[in-house]
Amino acid sequence: NRVKGLLDCGDSADENASEMAADGGSSSLQLPCVFSPKSRQFLALCAQDGRLRIWNTDSKTLHQEYVPSAHLSATCTCIAWGPCRTVKEGPQRKKRKSEAVQVEEKADLLAMGTAAGTVLIYSTAKGALHCTLDGAHSGGVNCVQWHPEESLLYSGSDDTNIVEWDLQTGKTRSKWKADHAAVTSLCVSPDGKLLLSAGHIIKMWDLDTKEVYRKFTGHSTAVTTLRFATTRPPDSNGLYFLSGAAHDRLLSVWQVREDGKDKNSVVSFTLTDEPQHIDLVTSNSKEEAVRLAVVCKDGQLHLFEHFLNGPCKKPLSPSCTVQMSDTKESPIPIPLLAAVLGADTRTVMLAYGSHLQPVMEKVEINTAERHVCLTRDVQTTLSLSMETTVSKVKTPIVNAKSKVLVPGLPGHKAPLKGTSQGSEKRKKDTDTKEMSIAERLGEIDLSTVSEKGASKGTASLTTDNFAVLLVQGLESNDASILNKVFQTRKEMVIKKTVARLPLSAVLPLVEEVTYTFVLSYRAALMVRWLKAVLMHHTSYLASLPDLVTQLGVLYHMIESRVKMFHKLTKLDGKLYLLMTQVSANICSVVHSIISFNLTSQELSLSHKERMSLSSPHFCSYTPGSCEAVKTQAEKFECCF
Amino acid sequence: MASFKPTKIQVYPKLGEKVTQDTLYWKNYKAPVQIKEFGAVTSIDFSPVTPHNFAVTAFTRIHIYGPFSQEPVKSFTRFKDTAYCGRFRSDGQLLVAGCEDSVVRLFDVSGKVALRLFKGHTKAVHLTDFTSDRYQILTGSDDYTCRLWDIPNATELTTYTEHTDYIRCGVTSKLNRDLFITGSYDHTVKLFDARVEKSVITMDHGQPVESVLLYPSEGLLVSAGGRHVKVWDLLKGGQPLVSLKNHHKTVTSLALSSNGQRLLSASLDRHVKVYNTTNYKVVHNFDYAASILSLGLAPDDASIVVGMTNSILSIKHRKNQEDSKEIAGQQRRRPSYRVFVKGKNYVPKQDDYLVSKPVKEHLAKYDKQLQRFNVSKALDTALGTYIRFRKPEITVAVIKELDRRGTLKNALAGRDERGLSQLLNFIIGNLVDARFTPVLVTAAEMILDIYQSVIGQSPVVDRQLLRLQDLVKREIEFQKDLLEVLGMLDTMFASSLPRKEVPCSGIATLDWV
Repeated sequence: NRVKGLLDCGDSADENASEMAADGGSSSLQLPCVFSPKSRQFLALCAQDGRLRIWNTDSKTLHQEYVPSAHLSATCTCIAWGPCRTVKEGPQRKKRKSEAVQVEEKADLLAMGTAAGTVLIYSTAKGALHCTLDGAHSGGVNCVQWHPEESLLYSGSDDTNIVEWDLQTGKTRSKWKADHAAVTSLCVSPDGKLLLSAGHIIKMWDLDTKEVYRKFTGHSTAVTTLRFATTRPPDSNGLYFLSGAAHDRLLSVWQVREDGKDKNSVVSFTLTDEPQHIDLVTSNSKEEAVRLAVVCKDGQLHLFEHFLNGPCKKPLSPSCTVQMSDTKESPIPIPLLAAVLGADTRTVMLAYGSHLQPVMEKVEINTAERHVCLTRDVQTTLSLSMETTVSKVKTPIVNAKSKVLVPGLPGHKAPLKGTSQGSEKRKKDTDTKEMSIAERLGEIDLSTVSEKGASKGTASLTTDNFAVLLVQGLESNDASILNKVFQTRKEMVIKKTVARLPLSAVLPLVEEVTYTFVLSYRAALMVRWLKAVLMHHTSYLASLPDLVTQLGVLYHMIESRVKMFHKLTKLDGKLYLLMTQVSANICSVVHSIISFNLTSQELSLSHKERMSLSSPHFCSYTPGSCEAVKTQAEKFECCF
Repeated sequence: MASFKPTKIQVYPKLGEKVTQDTLYWKNYKAPVQIKEFGAVTSIDFSPVTPHNFAVTAFTRIHIYGPFSQEPVKSFTRFKDTAYCGRFRSDGQLLVAGCEDSVVRLFDVSGKVALRLFKGHTKAVHLTDFTSDRYQILTGSDDYTCRLWDIPNATELTTYTEHTDYIRCGVTSKLNRDLFITGSYDHTVKLFDARVEKSVITMDHGQPVESVLLYPSEGLLVSAGGRHVKVWDLLKGGQPLVSLKNHHKTVTSLALSSNGQRLLSASLDRHVKVYNTTNYKVVHNFDYAASILSLGLAPDDASIVVGMTNSILSIKHRKNQEDSKEIAGQQRRRPSYRVFVKGKNYVPKQDDYLVSKPVKEHLAKYDKQLQRFNVSKALDTALGTYIRFRKPEITVAVIKELDRRGTLKNALAGRDERGLSQLLNFIIGNLVDARFTPVLVTAAEMILDIYQSVIGQSPVVDRQLLRLQDLVKREIEFQKDLLEVLGMLDTMFASSLPRKEVPCSGIATLDWV
């Protein structure tokens, strides 16, 4: 769909068909970022460099760092914390002889889905990889979800399957095809009986039978988020869940209705951008509101509070929006990464800054205000090189089993360039697989730049655009573009534009100017263009053999127009003289009228009557009536 | 007694676009019918058989519209993903379409469910077409291959893997069942022959090819890609003939008018250009509201259908000549021609004595008033609302005639505030028009002379005089600029004039010596 789908860009200067694919796919890449459940003690974050970092939110320090063996090729796509466990509830770890971790109830296990199709289970207590679940997915894992009670894990993948893993054995318990399209999101209901999956459509599965319970349609893009909003049984008309999708600025809430007539979403929440991180406090009864904290891709946090009770037509706007900026003179917004709601309504735990070094903070937010802006001083200049020197540099172990160098994954090429095996594979890849669009674009860009760079030079942006626009307009004879360009009044812009005009466009421009010259209201502007053209391209124009025929029409047109210069100037002089006298005259006329009135008032009453009869003539203005006034005045004088 | 000569209205040449046969032809379309589709309209194909329905491919649907219907007469919705390139077979019975999910579907135009599914491509299929023997299908896909399929068995016959990028367009020969042409994003257009299993001619277009078109004679091929439209001579082995660059964005679609005399190209820059195919000059230009993705031309140019990115399908129908005649006839019944020529075409015989009857000349109202020397009234008539705005040349001609008679002063004098402001308004509106300036400047001077004494008594007139002054000032500034330009042009002409052989032969000979 490289050309056909993306064509409605505006009037940008030089569009290549394939250039427009730039924002087509892969922009919805989100870095996983999750707080540990219940106590919110840890924040697990997978940064751009493929490492997993676990931050302690109490001490605000780096708790652990883990580098997956294939962290560059098989990037981590999703993270989920396992349910908190106490000593007695960890039977599978007993078997695995990791006794040291069994302390009090604490978040421990972390499941990470990778783009290579494996699921890694990491133990924070051990600080090491617990086990690897693989062999079930042929495509990248898009989402992992823990079962709230049993030690089960669900993963959805690009290969359209959902796999149920048993963590006690480390094997798949069941696997079923969920959809035609990739499974992008999963969610297990709080009671552990239902599973939501999103692929082409959203499906609700009964986990006992693995059968579809309900289907929901409505999103046109990939669903990125699914969450249950209430903890009520499904046949009570009270079960709600919400969904968010890529490139979508709405969160939709769906009701699971008893009668199965749940075709459309019942409520929607408006956001400023697509959702990145969602935290919600589920409601257990009708009287309890659902509280929602959504961090959007633009780095804003929106807080919602809503009583879920049937459909609501209007999209709901946030009850409070939180932004963060730094303390400089010209504040730059600091993106929020994640936010979780505290126990009471006001406290919110925020994570902000960069993914490499996030800052965690517990904030009390005055939710009475609709818009809150926090200012924080954050050291945003974080050098990556320093980071790498601190951590132990390990070369990833590339074994035969691991799938590396899958095109389309970010940052997987640079480190393996040196090894001969890698380059061989790369070659093969480029043969069999298509190049990524970004690479193609890069190539296209380079070639166009080298072609055009010479003629354009390094001009300031605006005039350059004008020149390009003008050339385009002249080439395709587009009236609207030409209009836009010719309406400039700035002398500098005109001069620069003409100076950057390629020679082939000079004569068409002169023709166009000649054509628009006949419209008098435009002519004044066109003269400037004409002058600029004549000044900048004198030698080119003079070298034309048929210059006289080319410019003859224009010459005659101008000549006929300036023929009257002499007379017009005279007229101007006349007008000038008159109009300067008018101002003086007005004073004197007013004066004379007043004095005339005064004198007439001194006359007898009978004459006054006559005056009042004739007074309208004063207001009228025609020479005839003026004369009448004069004669009447003379008559008066005669009378006396 | 000499008869009265009516005022001569000077005819000025009309400025602006030249009206040619082509503009008249291509402007003769009704206002467009616009239909909102479900997504960007990527393909339009007309059925080769009457009543020339057309298939519109947009998003996951193909709609078939009748020649005059504004609702689809038929729609195919059984696509799993975006559909591409719905094309009719030459008998108009079958329709084939590609899809984003790489399956090619064949439909019966009267049915609903796909008759055959052709599975084998691994990526989206953007090109589908029937070969001229009607038993095979050509497809081209984003997996860089193009394939020939057998319709009855739904099996793949041949695969061609010569292209190195997406195949997005192509066409089959209507004369030979083995020849077909594909255009690809690898910048090449290839002519394949099914008998030799590989391409016969390769042409390098230079940009990703978006559309190809074969002339009915099949000697010439037109390809569009990037901003260029190129014409190739196939009989000379794919020699480039012409390269046209009249768009400023990617050209997406091509069409040929039914008699093959005009070529149409549609582009993302929202234009459709019409070229003359003898000299390949642009003869007409259509403007649309959004970037155009697909273009279709009905047989006999009966309608122009354009599909745009904003998912709007625009259909322009040709104005019917009988229609317009009928409407005119209904409006007014004119006396027949007989009435006008009655007695006028009588040829006198030799011994007839001719008594000439003075022909009654029809005079315009202002002429009648001029005849009776009602100069002021004549000017009033010429300043009537309709003439003043629609035909200022008449007003100016009357003023000129009055000036010639020397009675302009009388005509201008004796006006009240309203009359004078009307007159001044006219002068202000038309003074800078180079055609009228000489006459109007004289009139303006005269007005100033006449009303000099009463200036300053009416605020309305004063304001207009100030406006006039401002206008004259600006015009003078402008003309100064123009004079400068004239100077520049003079210099340029002087330097470019061919230097005359000044008598310097002596020197020349000296040189030779």
